[in-house]
Amino acid sequence: MTLAAFLTLITGALTTAALSFSGIAMGVPLGLVLALVRWLRVPLLSAVVAVYVSLVRATPIVTFALFIFFVLPSFGIELAPVPAAILTLTLNTAAFNCEIWRGALEIFPRDQIEAARAHGMTTPLLFRRIILPQLWRSSIGPLTSEMTILLKGTPAVAVIGVVEITRAASRIGAETYRPLPPFLTAAVIYTLLIVVIVAGQRLVERRIARLYGYAV
Amino acid sequence: MDDQTLPAVSASRICKQFNGIEILRDVSLEVQTSETVCVIGPSGSGKSTFLRCLNWLEVPDSGAVRIGGRPFGVVPLSGGGTRPMSKTELAAARTRISMVFQHFALWPHLTVLGNVVEAPIHVLKRPRAEALEEGRRLLDRVGLGHKADVFPHTLSGGQKQRVAISRALAMRPEVLLFDEPTSALDPEMVGEVLAVIRDLAAEGMTMIVVTHEMGFAREAADRIVFIDGGQIIEVGEPEAFFERPATERARRFIARYMK
Amino acid sequence: MMAGLAIVWSQRDLVLSGFYNTVLLTLACLAISLPLGVLGAVFLLEAPNRLRRICAAFVDLLRCVPFLLLAYVVYYGLPELGLRFEAWGAGLITLVIYNTAYLIEIFRSAGMVLPREELEAARAFGLTTPLIYRRIVLPQIALSAAPVVGNQVIVMIKDSALLMIITVQELTFAANFLSTNYFTPFAPFAVAMLLYWSLCLIVELVVGRLIRLRRSRHG
Ligand SMILES: Nc1ncnc2c1ncn2[C@@H]1O[C@H](COP(=O)(O)OP(=O)(O)O)[C@@H](O)[C@H]1O
Ligand SMILES: [Mg+2]
Repeated sequence: MTLAAFLTLITGALTTAALSFSGIAMGVPLGLVLALVRWLRVPLLSAVVAVYVSLVRATPIVTFALFIFFVLPSFGIELAPVPAAILTLTLNTAAFNCEIWRGALEIFPRDQIEAARAHGMTTPLLFRRIILPQLWRSSIGPLTSEMTILLKGTPAVAVIGVVEITRAASRIGAETYRPLPPFLTAAVIYTLLIVVIVAGQRLVERRIARLYGYAV
Repeated sequence: MDDQTLPAVSASRICKQFNGIEILRDVSLEVQTSETVCVIGPSGSGKSTFLRCLNWLEVPDSGAVRIGGRPFGVVPLSGGGTRPMSKTELAAARTRISMVFQHFALWPHLTVLGNVVEAPIHVLKRPRAEALEEGRRLLDRVGLGHKADVFPHTLSGGQKQRVAISRALAMRPEVLLFDEPTSALDPEMVGEVLAVIRDLAAEGMTMIVVTHEMGFAREAADRIVFIDGGQIIEVGEPEAFFERPATERARRFIARYMK
Repeated sequence: MMAGLAIVWSQRDLVLSGFYNTVLLTLACLAISLPLGVLGAVFLLEAPNRLRRICAAFVDLLRCVPFLLLAYVVYYGLPELGLRFEAWGAGLITLVIYNTAYLIEIFRSAGMVLPREELEAARAFGLTTPLIYRRIVLPQIALSAAPVVGNQVIVMIKDSALLMIITVQELTFAANFLSTNYFTPFAPFAVAMLLYWSLCLIVELVVGRLIRLRRSRHG
């Protein structure tokens, strides 16, 4: 593998990281909003979210990416491959994150909620001051798993023409007629990215455990 | 009517069903300002449900609650009749009546002091410095001033419950409700919590205490309310109630507990 | 949109053959990777320490790699070593390797939580290790791991869609084919998504049955 090829791979890695990061940065809060809609049992909307989550969780990212990239234009929304990829990843991971947040909300200790109500807290205050600070701490494990799954799902957007690590590796392989070295390098890069995410999770979890003394 | 003579708490004809089963039937009770009332009765008799109806954690099916003479949970309409309070109105009303729970229900992500000042700062909008100062004073008073900056998980059960009491007091409530405050404690910690409640009684706090501690009820209460099967069976001065219960049911209950 | 649906209907054989390939790949992969996963898990639980650590590292590494990359390795990379497969075969091999890695981990952690006493009791009764596995460990794992395996099956079904990129003619391939050839993207992809959805619902149904069976047996 030449230096140029290696640089191509690194560029692909940056694209993968940027795509995943954008998806996570928007998908995690969006998932929380969806979870709140269900938790608060907002009429009608709650049912819509339930169907959305179930459908998107069942749809392969590659199918979803094609759907978004080719269908949105017929509604007058033209998206370039990268924005379409980010939208796909965001909407996909939001559905999974919704279930994570919702699970954590459902098992949030009732007595803490009642104590908050007994002390005069309204629902927004209760959510902001009591639930949210604990919710993200207890969801960090599953959220991180979902982040690594999303990262591993990014190659699917190659199908709409985004060049991330896997696509870059296959291009190099096709040009050099020696595909294995770039593929193995790509595998190492993915592993490193995932190690970084998981290490970040461990770090945060250790801090939380030290501070608040509860295991997450 | 003179404000002084209004009862601090007045519950009249509270009814509550769960899944079609009647849990409270026509429960009425008046508690005067500075009075300490202990509610006793077999488990499952509806004591917690009654207490929770007083601050609308459970919404009564019928009946009315007044705190300091003002209707709770509903708003009287000018044309007669009432409407349920909005969520905001209810939250505001709940600041006048505070509660201590069996399992403490401290917020684990806040320090001990953080637990105490949380609602005063964010609900009552008291100035931060003032709330912190009062919080520390309240913690000192229950003997936990030195624990202000630790997180609740490091405390013993008795200490947690004393923090919960400080947290409730920080609201400067008109009435304080206790739901079996010592039932979740190891026996050696019951005393420290009861001592705090006894002090509050002596200082003239208005309190309703659901408890199984008969000794405490007898010595600290101004009146005993005995509930069984979702009804108030008997109300009396502690001395009279424990020595000469008027009803057979109360007699049997006392006999079982005094052994 | 109605026109799109009409096209999908007129080309239903194509869609159905794609759907059939997706289902076939999934079932074939399950038939191979379930036993392999069990064997791998038993191996990881019983093998000598050093060997076990090497295998565990390999399984962990596989779980860090995206499915598509593995598919590329099998389809484009292995010919470099003289191993050449048709797209369909390469797809199946990728599915099997990738899933087995996950299943090994699933069965291994399910086996780890079995009560030690139960196994010791079995040994005390003179059961041999293979017999213990067959009669005691595996039946319990089969039931207790059912929900996680169900999730993995859903992941596998969705992974198989990526095989369209190496030209396996499965469901998404068919939808994409219709979409590009008839210039009507909505209906083909919507139908494909609904078919994936129904597959997942079926898997969830089966898992639900298994969970109820487990409850009725083990409480
Ligand atoms: N939220 C609820 N839903 C259904 N039943 C309830 C609920 N809360 C209490 N109950 C039932 O009401 C009865 C009285 O409960 P409670 O007031 O907690 O009794 P106590 O506090 O005297 O032990 C019990 O039979 C209990 O099962
Ligand atoms: Mg109770």
